[in-house]
Formats: sequence, structure tokens, C-alpha cells
Amino acid sequence: MPRKSKTAAKPGGFVSTTVEIEGRTETRIVEMPAFEPAAWGDDAELGIVGSRVPRMDAPERVTGRARYTADITRPGMLYAFILRSTIPRGTIRSIDLTRASKMPGVFDVLGPGDAPAGTRLFNREIFYAGQPVAAVCAENENAARNAAHAIAVEYDALPFAVTFEDASAKNAPRVRAKGNVMENAPLVMSRGDIDDGIKAADVIVRREYRTPVQLHTALEPHGAAAEWEGDRLTVWESTQGIFRVRGDIAKALDIALSKVRVIKDYMGGGFGAKNSAGPHTYVAAIFAKRQGRAVRCINDREAEQLDSGNRPSSTQRVTIGAKKDGTLTVIFASIDVPLGISGYEGGPGQIFHEMYACPNVRTEETFAYVNASGMAAFRGPGYVEGAFGLECAMNTLAKGLKLDPIALRKKNFTKREPRQDRPYSGNNLLACYKEGAEAFGWLTENRKPTTENSKRVGKGVAAQVWPTGGGPPAYALLRINPDGTIDVLAGTQDLGTGARTVLSQIAAESIGAKLSDVRAIIGDTESLPYTGNSWGSMTTASVGPAVRMAAEDAQHQLFEAAAAMLDSSPSSLEARDSRIIVRDTDRSMTFAEVTKKLGNVMIMGKGSRGPNPADTAIMTFGAQFAEVEVDIDTGIVRVLRFTAAHDAGRIINPTLAESQLEGGIIQGIGYALFEERILDRKRGLVMNPTMHDYKIPTMADIPVIDAFFVSGADPVANHTGARGIAEPPIIPTAPAIAAAVSDAIGVEMTEIPLTPWRVLAALKKARAGR
Amino acid sequence: MRLTVNGRHHDLPPSPAVTLLELLRDRLSLTGTKLVCDRGECGACTVQLDGEIVYSCLTLAEACDGSSVLTVEGLSSGGADSALSPLQRAFIAKDAAQCGFCTPGQLIAAHTLLANNPAPTDEEIRAGMSGNLCRCGTYPNILAAIRAVAEGEFEAAPAAGATRAS
Ligand code: FES
Ligand code: FES
Repeated sequence: MPRKSKTAAKPGGFVSTTVEIEGRTETRIVEMPAFEPAAWGDDAELGIVGSRVPRMDAPERVTGRARYTADITRPGMLYAFILRSTIPRGTIRSIDLTRASKMPGVFDVLGPGDAPAGTRLFNREIFYAGQPVAAVCAENENAARNAAHAIAVEYDALPFAVTFEDASAKNAPRVRAKGNVMENAPLVMSRGDIDDGIKAADVIVRREYRTPVQLHTALEPHGAAAEWEGDRLTVWESTQGIFRVRGDIAKALDIALSKVRVIKDYMGGGFGAKNSAGPHTYVAAIFAKRQGRAVRCINDREAEQLDSGNRPSSTQRVTIGAKKDGTLTVIFASIDVPLGISGYEGGPGQIFHEMYACPNVRTEETFAYVNASGMAAFRGPGYVEGAFGLECAMNTLAKGLKLDPIALRKKNFTKREPRQDRPYSGNNLLACYKEGAEAFGWLTENRKPTTENSKRVGKGVAAQVWPTGGGPPAYALLRINPDGTIDVLAGTQDLGTGARTVLSQIAAESIGAKLSDVRAIIGDTESLPYTGNSWGSMTTASVGPAVRMAAEDAQHQLFEAAAAMLDSSPSSLEARDSRIIVRDTDRSMTFAEVTKKLGNVMIMGKGSRGPNPADTAIMTFGAQFAEVEVDIDTGIVRVLRFTAAHDAGRIINPTLAESQLEGGIIQGIGYALFEERILDRKRGLVMNPTMHDYKIPTMADIPVIDAFFVSGADPVANHTGARGIAEPPIIPTAPAIAAAVSDAIGVEMTEIPLTPWRVLAALKKARAGR
Repeated sequence: MRLTVNGRHHDLPPSPAVTLLELLRDRLSLTGTKLVCDRGECGACTVQLDGEIVYSCLTLAEACDGSSVLTVEGLSSGGADSALSPLQRAFIAKDAAQCGFCTPGQLIAAHTLLANNPAPTDEEIRAGMSGNLCRCGTYPNILAAIRAVAEGEFEAAPAAGATRAS
């Protein structure tokens, strides 16, 4: 295998590199890998990478054998339940834990002052409805819940604000001590001059767009099981980041990292909400310590919908202008986001700067704290909300210009990433427009809206960018067992994304093994090397290269050993299907034959993720096309057809990647049509913390989806040629659907979800205005 | 009370105020069936009770005295991949499980749908499966898997290990 270093820094030395996570850019000092494999370009001859192998852990998932956190039991295990505040703001005047502690089956109770300060649990001051106020530990879940509800809490209520308007009003109640507006000022990003841009425009669109609070609603709730052995703590946690949770626990409980082990085996979805330890983690760990027994604490559905993160809502006042030929001259957005009591994961503003070539762009984003549960990253945070404003405005602008919306987008295609003026590692967005439009029949299929009955048909399009380069640090080990089977070790996690499968494919391809000989071992901080959180669509592009390097390192050692046995030299060897072949001869040995001779002399390869290319934008692109039917009598919207074309560089496993596209689109359909957390402004309470009242799509809501990737590896991004794909597909879905609905009924829709009453109200307003 | 679960007979102490789901998960350690909403809204806890699908979170265990229950663990006839049912193999082949948390309920619902209607149309599948939520968005693949089984694509048992690519 050719080995070359792609930067000047020498192996083992440290260099500075940038990594983009959920749209944020972080600078890191990282070690240069000992070598970097040559990049797999478009012409790389790959057999296992790029093939549609079934998800390797699917047999466990279809038999009920897969163990999730709530399936973990330990000898003598107890169960914990967290009681939550029923008011949005105030202080606890009194709390009586005695009755609860005497109830049958109860072992222990925690209230204000009982948890270590680092956990910030059970504060007497209440900042939102759903805030933990006490917890009970009992012999079973029902006993714990019943006892928790027997705790008598008296509150002194204080004035609160749960909307952006209320929190930013002049005499607003103090939501947080430091002020209600994040940094006490809007976040401004700007290039060029907005006034110049407005003057230069022939057509200008000014609109206000609104997006709702969306709840992650992973089917598996947040939860943890904790067990102490002496001063060492083991936690089983449903998380996207085992090492981050380990760090959180060590800090909150003031114990050494080496004393905390976090394990995550199977996981029932995360979507951004499971990036750190939470109240359930600390409650389990504290009770387990006090009782000397394992304790499990799993959110019930109400807690999950109430207080486990959300995508915040937004109000976006957008001005967009262009010359007659469609050349954009100005994009301006003033955006309000109520974050909840905490959290910030980047805002809607960034995509306005990154999607199109436009000389004058400005966003002003104000983030307000409100007395509601804190936000958390949710698949494509910020970009999903921003894309709704930007792409709806683009579609309206196209109409004003009498241009096809795809032609308008192509006209403003940017060859360099415009926000930071950097080249792209690769960009096939134009191919997404072209191949997507062809597959959908954008220009050819025109089902004219009928007037004969109440059904109206329309179509719409929207596009997307998302930073998906991944990056260091991420490490992997690969060991070859004496029977020739291979273990890939990486401390990453598989949320249902297929990481186990994809990493196994990369390892098998790189070392020349049969895929069935390879097993990826993930999800344990004690025995596995560090990788970061599985967020920001980063896992494949971060951990994949480390796995590839580990495999090549191991292959190099294997060839050294085999060369002597085959009376050859390492450079004359190649490997395929777990067999080492002396090139141009008929001499060969299987991996197992070599390793059997080695006995317990173990070959172990080591890999790490190298730095990202300097000053390069690594992004995933896509275009989506929707056809909808609207019933103008009932206001019900049905998506009839959906097409999505995305560019994410090399696709390691098209089947799994397409599943991710479909999953993102389906969450996007929910966001466009149904999903909306409803918070009562007068009482400060969430009105729909159930799966009946907070509606996610069902199978009956989902149309035929044609989701695919345009081809092309990205060898500049990293040496596997792959970029991330988890988040991009949800980004343009809602504006594509909104455009289709607007097209169908001839009334512009500027607020989602497009519930029947909202559609009917828009129709009524339009009729009245006529 | 007596209960037959996946063909195995159990003689159980009376368990008032315990749901069928709790009985399966906590007493019989059959944790394949999942708890998600605990109030009949999501379908994750779906099991077959005397041939009909029920939400086990809403079913009192005592009311099942003398009944027969099928859970996801009962769909395959053993641990090996070769013993998987056609539906399970179809779910793997069509990538109908992402995180897999909804999958046990989906499988039981689909299994029952096909038992009652061996040749469903896509519309019948959509309607029949709409009581089982999936947040990962595997619906198109679940639909494809059910359709493939209905069309006989997975009738013959594959050779051992055939679900894994080599
Ligand atoms: S857990 Fe029974 S229907 Fe949701
Ligand atoms: S596969 Fe994750 S909820 Fe259905």
C-alpha cells in the first residue's frame, strides 16, 4: 500500500486544524498520524466499500436480542423516578419527603440540597415546568413513581416568560440572573452592504416566516443504569457520546476519569438530544452510591417530551432581492429564537451566508432565554430552521422574477464557500439539481391543479448545505485474532445509523478481509480508544479514516509476518477475502494460516484521524422535490411523491445511507405538516407532552420516496472520500413541501406546521383579501 | 394464572395491577418488547394475544389468564440467523430497522397483518401498520419488507449466514 503524508508536518508532530461541529468551527491541536493512507479517489478499486451489505447488527435488532439501556438489569437493581416541577418559575417554599420515604418498596429519596453541587440538581429555584425537584429510589418502577407523586411540594410562584416576545419585552420578568437575551445583544454576521444590495435589486421579497418547536421524540427515552464497585462507577447510558458522558459524570461527581466507565451498546435513536449526561444519569449514580446497589433511571414519555431537549422555534424576517436575470443582490434576515432556559447550538443565520453566491448578506439573530425546558441540538440544528426562511423566500422570489426556482438556484450557485471565502473539498450541488429534477420530472410532469373537486396538486423544491467534514481526534485499533478473525475497536456509538457496519466495511476493505470475519466493537470508554460524539454527521468521516489507517497498519505487520512464511517480500503481497497472495504467483495463505502460526503473537494496528485540509469547506449538498395534494375543504395536506438528490462524497453503504435520507425526509415531513410543541403562554406549561398530541408521521403519511446520491468521491475531505449524511436530508424538506402547498392552493404559506386549520385560515384570508 | 408465551407454558402467581408488558419484560425477562409511551399511542409494545394484536402496555396481565401470547422472541425458532422467519429476513434485507427500538412491535404487527391478509395492497399495509410509530423513518423499508414477504420473496430458508455478506 502506498503511504504518504499529505501535509508538511512530520508524523508524530502536532498541528492545528479546524473541525466543524453542528455548524460551529472549533480549532484543535492534533497529533499527525504516523502515516496517512493514500486517498481513495473516484478510480479506487473497492469491493466492500460502496456495496449494499445488510446492516451487520440487524439480526439482533429483529429478534429482540439487542439490549438497550432499559433492558439492562443487574443483581439487586433498584429503580429511580424523578419528580418535576409543575410551575414555570418560582421557588420551593416547602417540600415534604417523609411520606414518600415511608411508602412501600421505597429505599431512598433525594430533594433540594441532597445532590452534589456539580449535578445542579434539585434547585429550590424553579426556572421551567418540568425541572427536576426530587427523586425516589424504590424496588420497582411503579413504587418509585407512586412515591414521587406523594411528595408534597409548595411553590411560591414568580412571573415568567415563555415566549420570545414576553422575554424580550421592556419590563420582562428575569428569566435568568444574567439577563434574558444571550450575550445581551444580537449575533450579527455580515458581508457587503445591505443597502447597496437593496438598491441594486429589480425585485425584492419581504416576508416573515415562523417555525415551531420540534421535539426529538426518539422512541428510546433518555436513561441510565449505574453501579458502583468500590469507588469505581459503571454507567450504561443511551448516548451519542460515551466519552462526553464520562467527562460530565467525573466533573459533576468530582471523581477521576479513570474511575468512570460508560457503556452504550444498542441505542434507540438520539437525533441530537443525547449528547451529554443528564438528570437521569446523576440520579442513578447518586442513588446507586447511597444504596450500594445498581440503580436504573429511565425517563417516562412525559419527561422525555417535556425535558429532554428540542429544536427551538424561530421567527425570521427575511428580505431577499435579485436582478431581473435572477442574480441575487441582497439577503437579509432578522431572526428571533427563544432558546428555552439554556442551550445554544448555532442559529438559523448561518445557512443564509452559505447557500448562495450573493455579495450582500446580513443576519441579525437574537437568542432569548425563556422559562421552558432548554433546547438541544436536533438533526441539522439551525440550518433546518434557517432553510425554511431562506428557501421559502427563494421560491417566492423565483415567482416574482417569473423564473423557474431551479434556474434561480443554479444562477446563484457558488463555486466557493462564500461565508468564509474558501474552496470546497468537493461540490456536486449542480448534479443534485439536475439529477433530482430529472428523477422527479420537474419540467415534464405537470399535474395541473384541478378545479373539479376539492383536491389541489402542487410541487415545490428546496436545497441544502451542511458542514460535514468531521475531523480529529478519533482513534481506532484493529487486532487480528489467532483464528484470523478481526476486531475493530473504536469508542464510537451506533445510534441506529449503521456505524458498526460502515466501520467494518472500511476495515475489511482496507486490510483485505472478508466482511464476515470483521466485527466492530464500540461503545465502551474503558476498553476502547477515544472518538468524539456521534453528532454533526461526523462519525463516518471522523472514525472511518482512523479505522482505515489501523487496518493498513495491521496489514503491513501481517505482510511482514507472511512474507517470511511465503518466502517472499511484503511489497509483493496483496490481500483479498482474508487471503494473502504473492502477486503473479499461485502461492497464498489465508489470514488464519498466518495467525495460527503466530499463535498468541498478536497483530495490532493503530489508527488515528489526521487533520482536515487547511482553509477548505467540507460540506454536503442536496436538493429535494415534493408533490402534494391539498384538500381545500378540509385543509389536509398529503405528500404524494418525494424525490431527494444529495452529494455526500463517497457512500460507504448506499442502502444504509439511503435509509438515513429517508429518515431525515420523514422527520422533515413531520416538521412541515404536524409537529409542534404547544406551550400555554398564560400558564407556562406544555400542553402536548404525549405521542398522541405531539404528532410524528405514521406509515400512512409517507409517500413513495425516491432518495439517492449523486456519484463522486471526495478525496480532498479525507482519505476515505466520504462526508457526513445524517443531518442534511431533513434540512430542505419543509420548504420544499411549503412551496408545493403554496403552488397547489395559490396562497403563500409562511408558517409551519401546515396543519389543516393553518391551511384553511390561509385560504380564508386569501379569499377575504380578493 | 396460566399463560402461554411463544409456545412455552407458564404458571404465574397472581399479579394484580401489572400490565402484560411488565409481566413479559420484568417477570419473564423477555425484553424484546419495548416500552415507549405506556399509554397506547405508539405501538412499540405490540404483541399478539390469541391471534390478535394488542398494545401490551394497556393490557392487564390478569385478563390474559389462559391466553397465548406471541412476542418478537417467538418469531424465530432459535438463535441462529437461519432460523429467522421470512419477515425477519425481509426486514434485514430491506433495511427495515435503523435503531431497532420500534422493530419488535413492527414485526408483530406485520406478522399479524400477513396472517390475516396474506396478499395486502400497499394501501392496506399503510393502514394496517399506521398504529406503529417509527422515529427513524423506516416506513418505506418496512412496507417493502412486508410486500416482499407477501410476494413470496423470502419463503425458502436461506443457507446459514446468508444474511451476512461475505
Ligand atoms: S408503549 Fe404501548 S403503545 Fe406505546
Ligand atoms: S427504527 Fe428507530 S424508531 Fe423505528
